[in-house]
Amino acid sequence: MSGCYTYDGTLAGLLTLYARLLPEQITVERISAFPLEQHSLFNSEICIATDQAVAEAFWQRLTKRLSTNSLKLLRRCLLAEHPQQELLIYHYLLLEAEQGRRIDGMLAHPAVAPVWKLSQQVAREAHRYLGFVRFQQLQGGLYYATIAPDHRILLLIGAHFAERFSDQQWVIHDQRHGEGILYDAEKQEWLLLPMEVTAQPDVTPEEVQFQELWRSYFTTLAIPERRNLKLQQGKVPLKVRACLTEFGG
Amino acid sequence: MATDLMDRLKILADGAKYDVSCSSSGSSRANSNGGIGSAASSGICHTWTSDGRCVSLLKILMTNRCIYDCAYCVNRRSNDIQRVALSPAEVAELTIGFYRRNYIEGLFLSTGVVRSADYTMELLIQAVRTLREQYRFNGYIHLKLVPGADPLLVQQAGLWADRVSVNLELPTRESLQLLAPDKTRDSVVGPMRQVSSLITVNRAERKQSRKVPRFAPAGQSTQLIVGATGESDRQIVTLSEQLYQRLDLKRVYYSAFIPTVTDIRLPARPEAPLRREHRLYQADWLLRYYGFSAHELLDEGSPNLDSELDPKTGWALRHLELFPLEINRASYEELLRVPGIGVRSAQRIIQARRQGHLGIDDLGRLGIVMKRARYFITARGRYAGENGLESSALRSRLVDGPKQKRPVQLSLGLEQPVGDETASLITGEL
Repeated sequence: MSGCYTYDGTLAGLLTLYARLLPEQITVERISAFPLEQHSLFNSEICIATDQAVAEAFWQRLTKRLSTNSLKLLRRCLLAEHPQQELLIYHYLLLEAEQGRRIDGMLAHPAVAPVWKLSQQVAREAHRYLGFVRFQQLQGGLYYATIAPDHRILLLIGAHFAERFSDQQWVIHDQRHGEGILYDAEKQEWLLLPMEVTAQPDVTPEEVQFQELWRSYFTTLAIPERRNLKLQQGKVPLKVRACLTEFGG
Repeated sequence: MATDLMDRLKILADGAKYDVSCSSSGSSRANSNGGIGSAASSGICHTWTSDGRCVSLLKILMTNRCIYDCAYCVNRRSNDIQRVALSPAEVAELTIGFYRRNYIEGLFLSTGVVRSADYTMELLIQAVRTLREQYRFNGYIHLKLVPGADPLLVQQAGLWADRVSVNLELPTRESLQLLAPDKTRDSVVGPMRQVSSLITVNRAERKQSRKVPRFAPAGQSTQLIVGATGESDRQIVTLSEQLYQRLDLKRVYYSAFIPTVTDIRLPARPEAPLRREHRLYQADWLLRYYGFSAHELLDEGSPNLDSELDPKTGWALRHLELFPLEINRASYEELLRVPGIGVRSAQRIIQARRQGHLGIDDLGRLGIVMKRARYFITARGRYAGENGLESSALRSRLVDGPKQKRPVQLSLGLEQPVGDETASLITGEL
């Protein structure tokens, strides 16, 4: 058994797949989620059916086996949007099965370096979004923010905002991935939910005022003699500006 | 009312923006009292302005009225600009409004000096107290100390703020005398000394009991204006080294002086001030994180940093006898001195080589900048530079910039008309 595998695109599905393939040390060329993309005509794809119980048992074992560091690495990679992340993680886990915790130090190994790099990308984006979230105060008191990150970073930033804004009702909505975090200030709990936009948010008059204050403050801060748009664009890429108040978002 | 607030915010932000301190790091304050906010020890940047500088804190002056007349400062008494002020309550309200929307990480509060140093310092403290007590604000606060303020007030300031600072502005006593005749060196260094010893005492006390409130948990910083007076890089870097070692400063900021104000006390427009500033920051990092000392980077023979090479590469080129270094055997301290290897990558090399010898190909995967590093290292005895270390072409290969492009970033944007010709680019507000 070797070749191309598919799963249903859920985390449980992917974990089931790993649970089935890893013990056999199967050589894998490709792992893809439904719906199938036609990459190769001659490779028939093997579909692994999701089994919740298998997935949970596998995750339990994994959390016990792996070091805190590896686990962190893995969690970030699972949240990544990368064409080959499933395969990268598979190769990492294969090596882990062989090497155990020694894998933590094998930073230059071809199966480890790409996973580390991907995890780094996810972590960097998550950190940047600690700053790039912009809440708008809506009628009724809810603070609402939209973001459009490359990776699914909501789970990585939720705790930060829950602590910081523990006394306000807020929502951070990831429009690219169609999910969002809802924070309940009374219960002090946050929840990741599938989310869609239905209407233009209805902001308070105070909100309009603060946005104006912020924009004019932001413009004033720049020192014209030091103007450096290239540097600015490196720090605030155009793709994130649509959601930033100070860039007209 | 709103437009009035907008105007004042503009004027007071304009007066504060030349203070380059931006960081919101070094303090981790939990939101434990059911209030609002927290401080992340890594610091968080929220946006970047069109000059590429990050915005982390709401940086404003309480007022731009000032009794002093410092030549480099936009808020100096003799400058004909509109004078406005915010009340402590307004400062607090603005901060919270911005903070709740996640625009900022906290507040950076500075001011011109009104009436007396003590009176001004009390105003600042009042604003910060309102935030901490009334709003139960746990975000980051950077508070400026007013030179000459009463030591008791300085002590209070440190208890409310995460970081305090007083700007040295000019590297030597003589320069200060020339450009800021109202301030004495002692009135600036005095509070710095006091803060430094209060931090040391506080640290010791907190070892005894965790209940002792923190004093300036993010330490203190200062700012030096570079290029307004004739000091060499060597004088500046040596001064910074002393500030780090003797007064335990967290940061020294450098601000390139770009004179747009005519004052006979100021020099003619210097060359490439932003590049010089950049090199000073690089040297500063070498002092703080790479184990270099000032005299290794600069000496009497070469009192200024090379504008074409980063200071570490410059140092390495002067000490070719130490290279190439075998990556599998070199100590952490030695690795740190290789151009192209930073703190993170040195740590990763140490970690990775425990699992087996590293080859040249492994190094790229570890995040080492091989473009520079390859001339100075060997891996398993193999040397990866295309020319040896003796090569006369080495220097030109290492000169900054991809493919020898002309430096664009660091030249002055002269085509940009300066709106207010009396505006000095660097203020020394406190």
